[in-house]
Amino acid sequence: MNNILKLKKITSAWILAILLLFVLAISFGITMRFNQANDIKLSPVTFYSLMTTHGVTMVGIWVVAGMMAVNYLLSRYVKVSNGLNLFAMALTVIGVVMLWLTTFVGHYHTGWTFLYPLPFYTAWEKWATPVFLLSLGVLGIGWFVWSVGMLWQILKRYSLPQAFAWQHFKKGHTVETPPFILITTVTLVGVIACLLTAVLLLILYFAEYFSKGTFTNDALLMKNLTYFFGHTIINEALYLGVATLYELLPEVSGRPKFKMTWYVAVAWNCTLLFVLTAFFHHLYMDFAQPQSFQIIGQVASYFASLPSASVTAFSVIVLIYKNPVKWSLTNLLFVVGVAGWLIGGIGAVIDATISNNFVLHNTLWVPAHFHTYNAMGNVLFSLAFFNWAAKDFQGIASPLRYDKTKIFWLMVGGFGFVLMFYIGGAYSIPRRYAEYPNEFTNAKLLASAGAWFAIIYLWAIIVILFNIVMKCIKMFSVSE
Amino acid sequence: MNTHSTILLLFLSLAFIIAVVFITVYRSSKRKEETGGMINVNKKRLTFLLVLASLAIILLSVTLPDSPYYLYANETPSKVVFVGAQQFNFNMAYQAIDPKKPITEAIELPANKMVEFRVTSFDVNHDFAIYNDKAELIAQTQAMPGYVNMLRWKFYKPGTYNILCLEFCGVAHAVMRASFTVN
Repeated sequence: MNNILKLKKITSAWILAILLLFVLAISFGITMRFNQANDIKLSPVTFYSLMTTHGVTMVGIWVVAGMMAVNYLLSRYVKVSNGLNLFAMALTVIGVVMLWLTTFVGHYHTGWTFLYPLPFYTAWEKWATPVFLLSLGVLGIGWFVWSVGMLWQILKRYSLPQAFAWQHFKKGHTVETPPFILITTVTLVGVIACLLTAVLLLILYFAEYFSKGTFTNDALLMKNLTYFFGHTIINEALYLGVATLYELLPEVSGRPKFKMTWYVAVAWNCTLLFVLTAFFHHLYMDFAQPQSFQIIGQVASYFASLPSASVTAFSVIVLIYKNPVKWSLTNLLFVVGVAGWLIGGIGAVIDATISNNFVLHNTLWVPAHFHTYNAMGNVLFSLAFFNWAAKDFQGIASPLRYDKTKIFWLMVGGFGFVLMFYIGGAYSIPRRYAEYPNEFTNAKLLASAGAWFAIIYLWAIIVILFNIVMKCIKMFSVSE
Repeated sequence: MNTHSTILLLFLSLAFIIAVVFITVYRSSKRKEETGGMINVNKKRLTFLLVLASLAIILLSVTLPDSPYYLYANETPSKVVFVGAQQFNFNMAYQAIDPKKPITEAIELPANKMVEFRVTSFDVNHDFAIYNDKAELIAQTQAMPGYVNMLRWKFYKPGTYNILCLEFCGVAHAVMRASFTVN
């Protein structure tokens, strides 16, 4: 079997696995919202186990969705390793099975942020804590090796300054760095940095676990490490999706490719610089944290997202405005995804302002903004890639009937779902409550409405997925 | 209009502007013939980026001094309340609390005078969030083992204030609460 066919089959397997887990994880989320609405009754242990599964699964699948999409498109520029791709897939499957065992069998429920020292206050099976931490290690090793492999291949073709597009800061350069290569490089560096931090975090956890009380970690240090890892990995997942947009949106729209310019280079180098310190905004309410870190957190939160989001949005608008665009499901998903990313980004920047965070931190405003730029941003970038890839596998387009209707209902469901969170945040309703205290009079109604909007979103997703899934399944019977 | 409503209104207004821009751009693209697209792109892009960068710098300079770390920094608190959070209650007292023998006292605070909460945790991370009688979150700080977070605040309205935990701390997180009165 040739390498390209093998890559297509591996990518098909990734898409099928991701979509299956996505549908299940959305269902867990809907179940949680119905429980908060009092429409169904789960025990708190079941609710928080579902919450942990939902969070870790969603983060994991959108990281690998971005990684495998970038891996597929990278093969246009450099040689990619199918072996590393398969290795990462094998470890991802093992890691996910271990994770789900801990939550569904072991009733482990720390939330996906597993803030130290909560994993040691076991209100679940004793084995679940080390297995949960080990599962993160298994996932991390697979993704780390895969990221390093891709970055290595990029650096074999482009020098480090070229991969970062630094030559575009001055006139007269001879080598052009494609935007896709720049964004992928910036993102992979971030992924590698946060996975290395995760290794340190796990070492510290296991050091305490095996020390039998002779060694105790510092809670503030552990929280910083946890959010460096957690915040950075989910942001990098989004940027992997943006990389696919830069590569595919002009192509599927019948427009000229995006070219590298000095402002695109500046924007993404800003992201590289600032995204690694933006995580401090998760610790604004830890007043013991040095104040300089808090200020860096707000400045970095503004300048990590603003340049890349505004440059990307402007470029997309210029690409489309008053131009003949060949609309398809793929570019509709990309463009709605950019709008979702921007709207979620505004919600995030509002929350990343310390004086606002004082009254928004850990209210429903938090799931509001991250669900917006994930469910209505990054997820749509990945779905756009899946739709394009399914066509690329077999060279045939799906019938375009009803595409606008599908997108319409996806937006109704998605934006309606997150709006209930935003209103909840404005009503100061806490996040991560299995049931709401009586004083939050609107909380149950908002939860119920949110769940029904999420069902509309899920239905639209399933309709969109149907053709993609069928083509990916057919891919396995294709031979040379 | 309270802070929360202002924030929601600001967000919805900006989201609406983004939606209008994208719908306008999408509708403009349906022309079959090439019409040349946007004109003066470089000038518009530069203006757009400069406006956004200026806005970001203005927002930073206006909002950073309002951060809760600087609240009443030069004043002396009229009362100090020690808070030791633990799964799943808040111990509150006027003197330091021994984690091995935690105590809790009924807390009454003076209106219109600055008070200081010294918040820590005896086990996992919690969040000490103060809600007024309309269930509006007015102030908060985290409760972290090994650290003391000092929150300074002035209550202008007498009445009962509820404390809720806003950091997920385990199975009874949603029912972890306490209250105090302001006279």
